[in-house]
Amino acid sequence: MARARKVFFRRRKVCKFCADKIDYIDYKDVKLLQQFIPERSKILPRRISGTCANHQRPLQQAIKRARHLALIPFTTD
Amino acid sequence: MRTYELMFVVDPRVSDEDVVTMTQDYKNMITTSGAQITSEENWGRRKLAYPIDKLNEGKYVLLYVSSETGKSSLPEVEHRMRQNDKILRYLTVRTDEDLKRAARRQPSGPRTGPSSAGPDTGDGGDAEPEEEV
Repeated sequence: MARARKVFFRRRKVCKFCADKIDYIDYKDVKLLQQFIPERSKILPRRISGTCANHQRPLQQAIKRARHLALIPFTTD
Repeated sequence: MRTYELMFVVDPRVSDEDVVTMTQDYKNMITTSGAQITSEENWGRRKLAYPIDKLNEGKYVLLYVSSETGKSSLPEVEHRMRQNDKILRYLTVRTDEDLKRAARRQPSGPRTGPSSAGPDTGDGGDAEPEEEV
């Protein structure tokens, strides 16, 4: 019975900032922020990225700052 | 003590020398008010993520300011930048509080309490990688 079911692994999502011990999320670190803005340049939601609430908040702030300075796009057209 | 980061984007048609004199102007304004410029970065020409005033590039300058007394002429500097149409964007960020918070979190080790567990094993979460068969 159990054999018949499809085998799949659900990877446990880990907050990148907790794992890498990044405590200050810098708006100038474009490479880092880019990982959290997919194709449409929207901010990747927590439920997908696995970022914890304590880090999603500063991350969001950093992305918005970077957008203002045109380091990161608001949208892709 | 307060620390700030001041970043601004200059029109790429402005020559490098003019950018330097411009930043010198702003730096003078900041230092005369009693704050210090701790460091300075010039990123040079960089592609903008989206066009601003039909320009696709900008020159980025970054100043790190620290102020012992909490007094700084940053509002005036911002005011000047707003009126200068060679400046496409500017952003002042106060960084001391966030950096302090980050520094406080760092030496206390893993935030999840007991540090007896090995390095980086699941952060004390109860769920292990789920395998469903």
